[in-house]
Amino acid sequence: MILVVDNVIKTYVGGESPVEAVRGVSMELRQGEMVAIMGPSGCGKSTLLHLCGAMDRPTSGDLLIEGVNINKLNDDQLTRLRRERIGFVFQFFNLLPTLSVGENIALPLLLDGGSESEAARRASELAERVGLSHRLRHYPQQISGGEMQRAAIARSVIHKPALLIADDPTGNLDSDNGEKVLKLLGELNREIGITILLATHSAETAAAAGRVIHMRDGKVERVVVRGALQPSEESATHAIV
Amino acid sequence: MRLFKQFILRHLRNEKLRSLATILGIALGIAVVIAIRMTNDSSLRGFEKAIETVSGRTSLEITGAGTGLDELQLNQLDWLRDYGQVSPVIEGDAEVRLASGRTEAIRVLGVDVLRDTKFRDYRILEFAEKRRDPRPQEFLELLLDPQSLIITEKFASRHALKVGDRLKVTFADKADEYNIRGLLRDEGPARAMDGNFALMDIAAAQLAFNRLGRLDRVEILLNDRSRIDAAESEVSKKLPEGLRVNRPARRGSQVEKMLEAFHFNLSALSYIALLVGLFLIYNTVSISVITRREEIGTLRAIGVTRGKILNLFLSEAAALSTIGISLGLILGRFLAYGAVRLTSTTVNALYIASAAEPPPLNLEYVLIAFAVGLPLSLFAAAVPAIEAARVAPTAAMRGSDRLESRYRLRSRYLIIPLLLLALAWWFSKQGPVAGLPIFGYAAALSIVFGLAFLVPAMLFVLVKIGNRLLFRLFRIEGRLANANLAGSIPRVSISVAALSVSLSMMVAIAVMIGSFRETVVYWVGQTLKADLYMRPATRNNVATDAVFSSEVERIVQSHPSVEAADRFRNFDLVYGDSLVTLGTGEFEKQLKHGKLIFKTPADGPAAMRRTIGVDAVIVSESFAIKHQKSVGEEISLRTPKGEARFLVSAVYYDYSSDRGIIVMDRGTFIRWFGEPQSTSLTVYLRQGADADAVREDLLKQLGERYQVLIYTNSSIRQEVLRIFDSTFSITYALEVIAIFVAILGVATPLLTLILERKREISMLRLIGADRRQIRKMVVIEAGLMGAVSQSLGLIVGLLLSFVLIYVINVQSFGWTIQFHLPLGFLVQSTILILTATALSGIYPARRASQLMAAEQVTEE
Ligand SMILES: Nc1ncnc2c1ncn2[C@@H]1O[C@H](COP(=O)(O)OP(=O)(O)O)[C@@H](O)[C@H]1O
Ligand SMILES: [Mg+2]
Repeated sequence: MILVVDNVIKTYVGGESPVEAVRGVSMELRQGEMVAIMGPSGCGKSTLLHLCGAMDRPTSGDLLIEGVNINKLNDDQLTRLRRERIGFVFQFFNLLPTLSVGENIALPLLLDGGSESEAARRASELAERVGLSHRLRHYPQQISGGEMQRAAIARSVIHKPALLIADDPTGNLDSDNGEKVLKLLGELNREIGITILLATHSAETAAAAGRVIHMRDGKVERVVVRGALQPSEESATHAIV
Repeated sequence: MRLFKQFILRHLRNEKLRSLATILGIALGIAVVIAIRMTNDSSLRGFEKAIETVSGRTSLEITGAGTGLDELQLNQLDWLRDYGQVSPVIEGDAEVRLASGRTEAIRVLGVDVLRDTKFRDYRILEFAEKRRDPRPQEFLELLLDPQSLIITEKFASRHALKVGDRLKVTFADKADEYNIRGLLRDEGPARAMDGNFALMDIAAAQLAFNRLGRLDRVEILLNDRSRIDAAESEVSKKLPEGLRVNRPARRGSQVEKMLEAFHFNLSALSYIALLVGLFLIYNTVSISVITRREEIGTLRAIGVTRGKILNLFLSEAAALSTIGISLGLILGRFLAYGAVRLTSTTVNALYIASAAEPPPLNLEYVLIAFAVGLPLSLFAAAVPAIEAARVAPTAAMRGSDRLESRYRLRSRYLIIPLLLLALAWWFSKQGPVAGLPIFGYAAALSIVFGLAFLVPAMLFVLVKIGNRLLFRLFRIEGRLANANLAGSIPRVSISVAALSVSLSMMVAIAVMIGSFRETVVYWVGQTLKADLYMRPATRNNVATDAVFSSEVERIVQSHPSVEAADRFRNFDLVYGDSLVTLGTGEFEKQLKHGKLIFKTPADGPAAMRRTIGVDAVIVSESFAIKHQKSVGEEISLRTPKGEARFLVSAVYYDYSSDRGIIVMDRGTFIRWFGEPQSTSLTVYLRQGADADAVREDLLKQLGERYQVLIYTNSSIRQEVLRIFDSTFSITYALEVIAIFVAILGVATPLLTLILERKREISMLRLIGADRRQIRKMVVIEAGLMGAVSQSLGLIVGLLLSFVLIYVINVQSFGWTIQFHLPLGFLVQSTILILTATALSGIYPARRASQLMAAEQVTEE
């Protein structure tokens, strides 16, 4: 089991009144799964993803990543866990504007103390894989939104994480680019068997996942499993159409 | 106004650290400017005021050429009575040894009291209590005895002295006890030198000062003051050869002229400190504009005009600088105490005895501070304020993408800096204006501004090179720091420029002082060849005109170990409209035993020998440069026998004074000026004699009565360097301030940049950078700014030092300095700066490492 979420509650205090963003969610992710969390804006998707990505600790309940309970980790250990085992793709802000695309992709390896030549080699491999070979030396401001998301995906898998967290990766893209990004995620999921947890508020995006967890008001409303059916290119397209 | 409160004041309150740093920066800048101004004023005003208070009602004064005038000449001046009352005067400084063992300088006026009471108001306490002035006879009786002294009530009460007490006073080289015969109330001349004033009978004063038969001047109190102009010109025509009539204030203007260059340089230095303060204002206003583009856009969208926006930001600058200036005024007054103490050592050692108290903080200083500080601050804020006014209303809508545009190097960016550097080159080729190195400073300023404009381009090139290097040195954190810097070039350029400017000043001053010191050390090593150097004790920093008693000269010359004693005399002489030093020594002895270093001609000693017996002189380099005289030309000097022309035979190097020195052989001097008394003795000992032993022996023979300073060769060298170092200590103080202000200038914008980069830092944390890595990144970035600044500072500092050494120094002091790189200091200061700037990154780094909010990257 890559991820076990057991009755997790997250309450934000500090504001005028405490906000209960996640109210007792339980779920499990197996190795190689692609799971979508779907729901309207403000239902707690991002909050849940932050917890699953070890960016934050739950207020109560347990959350195990590869069997490790993140409640038991200190800040440095959490950081190491993220650095080594988790990849991130965010909706808006993914790339450091001061680094080139190639350098952005290589960042997780370098932060982990990897050698530069190895990092550069892997970065260009992945750039090729996501179709950005010609953009390696460009800066984020010089490429399109779709290209940025693809670069972010390349970055999120360069260190071969066990889990990829993608918070509404298509939310900021036109449908054409959104499709490309989804397709890429699906391919990576199949090719390298990476486990993906993504949040979205669009059904089309969710359709790419093998399992869709519907959330409302911080709770799981229902879970839709696509059965044995592997999400294929056609089925995704059908869903969109 | 409401908008100002909401938009500016609230923001400043939220940005406490940066507001505070800016205010402090301005305050320091203004403080230094005011302190230096007060210091300059105090050395000058102290002197002028002393002249004024001592002069009393004197309308005109007659002075001699050279060392005062001969008493006998009074007989030829009988006709002066037709114009008014006449009073001969001798004036000088003596040293009082107080019961506590401390010594204090005191101005002594020797007069013929019978004649003098008309000139000055002496209120003697004893009689004042009886509500009457002393009758002339009573006054005379007070000073009948040559050991009598009247001091001021102020001085007496300060040191618990009373009438009838005995006071130890050293005049020239003689220590003696004097009777206090009366106390002067704090009126008239008694107010000179803050009460450090004493009155003596003229004959007693002549005796005490070793100046029997000599007068300093003859003062005239005109019967009809309204005819002063006519009287002056009539008297002038009737005066015999060698005498001159002037108004008392003229002495002040000569001194003013003499100190002008020194003061000018000090002021120029002080404005550097202000410059750094202005960079901070620029910085603060820029940042507040840049970080609030959207808000400005919103304001514009809801209908606030461009003019209003411009006003808002200018008022921000005005508000900050008003507080800063007010603080600076108070701070400046305190700094002035220290500065007066520091410079009065220099001024006393090199020029004149000056006051030790800065003037009070009056309206004049307040006006100056605001007149200088406010417009400059507004000017500094104008650029960013105009930028703010240009913000389009749509800026509010554009979202919060990073606004920074990547800096691209365009060749046209190089035009202004190159133009400025070319201008600097041209300026450095120009001569002085009215004796002041105006163009020299213009060259320095052009270099500084050239540098400031060059900073973005330099940063661009450096971060290009830095990418690999920093990765190798500091791994990914190094690369991120470099990338951060690259991404904010337009922003950090200002701070880097500010830091580079102040560092380049430090480098330039260090190189200049280092070179100067090295030159002086060499010069001292070459020229100071004698075994013993002697001078009257009071000559050191009390009385610049103290002469030896003939008894002392006799004791020295008759000592069995003394092979030769070169009797040297120097005194102030008016040359043109400035004061120079005229010296006379025994050239034969100097040529045989001593060694001067000549600039021209090639065979200086031979040229010097040729001056013996003819009307010729040798002059110091500073004289030659300041008065544009070279070998073969003639100079005209006023002597007691009238104007005389002397051939300049040689120019020699001298770093003891920038006044300009003319030296003639004793024989020549006697022909024109009469027998000189000596102000110093240069003693050469016989082979094998031990200098220390001879010194001890001489001191024993001179006993308690004669107060003579005897330096051995090694101690005079130390003394020269001690004076040298104390002269330049003030520049170090300015340097420390400049560095301090500049470090503030790195830490505050860095902090702002970090707050601005919240999302980037959060993102880094989320994808796995730990706190340590973030801290390392920020500290490297701070260090990087320091490193870039220091490298620029080194380069520009060297350029500036060339200007200082080869233009400014030559023009204002008239001496050649050999260029010398103080490598040790530069290496050490580089390490210091890198450490200091890196350390200044610690607080921003801590703030940065605490940032990690997931919503930063997940929300727009
Ligand atoms: N840092 C925070 N502090 C307080 N409330 C928050 C914070 N982050 C999110 N919330 C609140 O929690 C709820 C869930 O937000 P979020 O997880 O971002 O939902 P979603 O991603 O589904 O739009 C919302 O009501 C939001 O306002
Ligand atoms: Mg969300």
